[in-house]
Amino acid sequence: MPEIAIRPGQERFVAPLEETPLQDVDSVDLSAAPESQWKEAWKRLRKSPLFWISGTLLVIIAIVVAFPGLFTSADPSYENLSDSLAPAREGHPLGFTQQGGDVWARTLYGARASVAVGVFATLFVTVVGVVTGAIAGFFGGWVDSLISRLSDIFFSIPLLLAAIVVISIINNIWPERQFWGSVFVVVGALALFAWPQITRQMRGAVLSVKSLEFVDAATAIGASRWKNLVRHIVPNAMAPVIVTATITLGVFIVAEATLSFLGLGLPRSSVVSWGNDIAAAQVLVRSGQHLEVMFVPATALAITVLAFILLGDAVREAFDPKARKK
Amino acid sequence: MRLSRRTRLAGVALVAAASLTLAACGGDSGDDSSSSDQVITVDGSEPQNPLVPSSTNETGGGNVIDELYAGLVAYKADGSTVNEVADSIESEDNKTWTVKLKDWEFSDGSKVTADSFVKAWSYGAFIDNAQLNAYFYYPIAGTNDEGNSETPELSGLKVVDEKTFTITLKQAEADFPARLGYSAFFPLPDAAFGSDGKVTKEFGENPITNGPYKMDGEGAWEHDTQIRLVPNEKYDGERKPENGGLTFKFYTDLDAAYTDVQAGNLDVLKTVPDSALTTFESDENVQPVSEPGSVFQSFTIPQSMPGFGSDEEGKLRRQAISLAINREEITDKIFNGTRTPAKDFSSPLMPGFNEDIEGSEVLSFDPEKAKQLWAQADEIKKFNGKFQIGYNGDGGHQAWVDAVSNQLKNNLGIQASGKSYPTFDELRKDVTDRTIKIAFRTGWQPDYPSIYNYLAPVYGTGAGSNDGDYSNKQFDDLINQAAGAQDEDERYKLYSDAQAVLMQDLPAIPTWYTNIAAASAKGVNNVEFNWQNLPEYHKLTK
Amino acid sequence: MWWYVGKRLLQTIPVILGATFIIYALVFLRPGDPIAGLFGEKPVNEGVKEQIEAQYNLDKPFLVQWLLFLKGAVTLDFGNSYTGRPVIDLVSQAFPVTITLALMALAIEMVLGIVAGTIAGLRRGGLFDSTMLVTSLIVIAVPIFVFGFVLQLIFGVKLGWVDPTVGGDWSVSKLILPAFVLGLVSFAYVLRLTRTSVAENLSTDHVRTARAKGLTQRQVVKNHVLRNSLIPVVTFLGVDLGALMAGAVVTESIFNIPGVGNLAYNAIKRGENPTVVSVVTIMVLVYVLASLLVDLLYAWLDPRIRYA
Repeated sequence: MPEIAIRPGQERFVAPLEETPLQDVDSVDLSAAPESQWKEAWKRLRKSPLFWISGTLLVIIAIVVAFPGLFTSADPSYENLSDSLAPAREGHPLGFTQQGGDVWARTLYGARASVAVGVFATLFVTVVGVVTGAIAGFFGGWVDSLISRLSDIFFSIPLLLAAIVVISIINNIWPERQFWGSVFVVVGALALFAWPQITRQMRGAVLSVKSLEFVDAATAIGASRWKNLVRHIVPNAMAPVIVTATITLGVFIVAEATLSFLGLGLPRSSVVSWGNDIAAAQVLVRSGQHLEVMFVPATALAITVLAFILLGDAVREAFDPKARKK
Repeated sequence: MRLSRRTRLAGVALVAAASLTLAACGGDSGDDSSSSDQVITVDGSEPQNPLVPSSTNETGGGNVIDELYAGLVAYKADGSTVNEVADSIESEDNKTWTVKLKDWEFSDGSKVTADSFVKAWSYGAFIDNAQLNAYFYYPIAGTNDEGNSETPELSGLKVVDEKTFTITLKQAEADFPARLGYSAFFPLPDAAFGSDGKVTKEFGENPITNGPYKMDGEGAWEHDTQIRLVPNEKYDGERKPENGGLTFKFYTDLDAAYTDVQAGNLDVLKTVPDSALTTFESDENVQPVSEPGSVFQSFTIPQSMPGFGSDEEGKLRRQAISLAINREEITDKIFNGTRTPAKDFSSPLMPGFNEDIEGSEVLSFDPEKAKQLWAQADEIKKFNGKFQIGYNGDGGHQAWVDAVSNQLKNNLGIQASGKSYPTFDELRKDVTDRTIKIAFRTGWQPDYPSIYNYLAPVYGTGAGSNDGDYSNKQFDDLINQAAGAQDEDERYKLYSDAQAVLMQDLPAIPTWYTNIAAASAKGVNNVEFNWQNLPEYHKLTK
Repeated sequence: MWWYVGKRLLQTIPVILGATFIIYALVFLRPGDPIAGLFGEKPVNEGVKEQIEAQYNLDKPFLVQWLLFLKGAVTLDFGNSYTGRPVIDLVSQAFPVTITLALMALAIEMVLGIVAGTIAGLRRGGLFDSTMLVTSLIVIAVPIFVFGFVLQLIFGVKLGWVDPTVGGDWSVSKLILPAFVLGLVSFAYVLRLTRTSVAENLSTDHVRTARAKGLTQRQVVKNHVLRNSLIPVVTFLGVDLGALMAGAVVTESIFNIPGVGNLAYNAIKRGENPTVVSVVTIMVLVYVLASLLVDLLYAWLDPRIRYA
């Protein structure tokens, strides 16, 4: 390679190699067979420490959800008023709720319903939101108008109002619900009017990604529109969706608490949930005593949200082709 | 444990009483800090109807109307009645009553006449006017069971002269005069009615009244914010205001109101929020009031509920349920002593209250006997169902319903749970359509101070608020006898006998009485509560 | 451009039709009997009930109810609430305080969220970034009731710096604390969205080019990173305005603010269709205008985005 003469004064315009795009060109292994972006993302994911931290947390959460009985011998649904707000004692490490239930056992057993509400509601809004948002942003025109205005309709009906009405209606036609029935009614009531949030994020991201050079490049080499959308645009537009979805997961779990407070959430008699316990503990806040009754389930909720936020970060970085340096 | 709770409550009551007497002394000595022209702010909520007595049946408007208007009689704090606009209310047979009026005026100077009453009540009862309070006219001849009349003139009312009218009832009712202080029986001035004979919109917004207070001019009702009342100089009755006016400040949430009392932005809060029940008595920022109250709480088990009918099996099960509830524990742990375990079907504040009614031991806690009775019932017929208590989720009932359910579960070994209805009207629809097949919460706040009011409308055969469809001939007879009994003691005895029947049948399971648990800001004096669980507004000073 | 705006505004009409239709259908399907509820626990005469139902058109099929509402709405007559007041009065009284509260919350969460998010994004993994992560977790996991209550107690009662409640005679200064509380959860969204976007944009070609040109960090962040990072944030804020308005039920209760959230909540509890539907109609207008504004902002933030 011939030496290129550097003219005077030019030095200061030259960035160090690791800060220039050239770095990326150098770091790409040309001998490897070209892989799909999804596969590459998975490869990068496995190398991410964030992924392993969140993965560990999620495995712990999953074990608690599946086998809560491993960590306590107390019955979460047994409540005896003579134990009301009693301090910790053997077999009951965190004391008792106002109704006299075991705080630790209720938090462990409550994971199942609360995580289910959070995960399924988030899954629903994410799938619906990503599909509708991607289509609206990518195709534009009347398709965009149709989807956007439809999302306006659903979003302009206040969530709490809609949930009250929807749950009332379902209570009427399906009064005797078991665990999963109750969970899915709450999921439905929350998700049905919340998906436009993700639709908007996806649409906005797709709008800005589709005008980038590499999309034109892909089109130029003859990629079909759908292939282009699925393989190139969607993965690059996922970042805000992932961020929104991971926070929304926590918001859904808390929203269940709000619904419980209004007597609309999961029935306290048949389902133990963090939301129910947080809602029931609200009367304790003013006295400032026995706050642990609220903070134990709230901490469990915070850890769950943390696990998903970290996972979201890891996934997002794995999908970001520009962040793959080093 | 039980003893200490009692002593503590008694202690609080003493302290409250002491501060009252102290305050009274302060007022007498002409202390500057307690002046009679101070306006007192009290908590309220936006009235849901125009400020017309016959159309208001909820507390937001009702509390204001009680201060704006004066009826034939007024209630003293202890529930005894005293003539107000009426000079005399007399009857030979307890069926036809003759009312003579004093010379009173409305705040605009127009006279309060026999017509003012007759027209107001006729208007309230006439079906075309669709007034929400019509129910109270049902004893008067010419109305149906819901208190509505088909004609604009109510046939049971006759004007004799400007100051006299007669009321004819459907049957003898000895304590009828005691009801006449209720808001449905307040008068309306001629100015209330428009040319079409209906009460005008303007009047409902800014009424002309004859009570201790009047509206503070045009725009005194600031919607969703407050209503300002000033003393009515034309008023000359029992409830002469000792303050310079009342402002009802509207809150949608008791917690916000309590915080305002703490900060000194609100003078009196009549009900402290659940979150403050454990702390309000020791809160340095407020003056607490804790006294027995008049609201009776229960849950009704409909007679049609499988396993709980009026036969032997049903009676056994009802008694078992009642005996399995530890009322002391719930009132202590859930309500921090702001409820008092029930001893009867009325309230300790009512004249004639008897805490040793025959059979009232069924209201004590006895899990052994409860189990035994339940097993007896199971021998007659096995019970495989689930015992549920319906409640409206928007009313803060979940905690006690859950506690009761848990006790039933633990003490009887049956499946029990609460069932939340998202809104009050959903519960009411299920109840009034008789589609409800589970127990449901019921409560009774007296309309007038008489045990009769707790019993006849709720448990009488076919009575208006008999939501469980209870029917017992013996009970009906006793109550009818009581209604016609002239002698007070005889009447009280009959009430106790009637309640003894209820103790056997338990159409509803009595739970507790709601105490007065209130707070006032520092420096507010004469906070005295009456039989309605309300402050004596006209006495408040600061 | 103006043609585009006009087209979008025209689209408001089908949105209002759709949203009010859904609400009417939902309220109609809801069990419960609002008129029986009006009578409390006292017996109700059938004749009286029918009369009141006729007055509010509740005796008609819901399609007819909906059409009658639309007919009235054209002339700005939204009917009466069950309290006998014109709904337009209720809404026009509750709306100003709520929109002020929501805009203040929006401003607070925007400023705090973007500033904190940018710093966190520039120094990912650092102490500040971790602190902000924990802060957002707390904000998400602890119910807003608790925050509102605790802040009210500290600033309103203990320190006495502000009025603990707002009441009917509201002012902007009284709304600062409630707006802060209301904006807390959304702050977590803005923070995380900004952080992610900034982190992503830092490694884009044009930022590297800008760096390569020798621009200072400040200039790079301001002109090249932030502007491009704001699209997801603007998207979020656009839909959040409406959510803050209608979702303020809890905040409005804690601080006793007579706003739209509580108006709608109490109306739905009473089954009061005219009020519920009118509030939703207003919300539609807010959403449609906000999303139009967001789309216009896209074009300004990223000139490559163009609308036909």
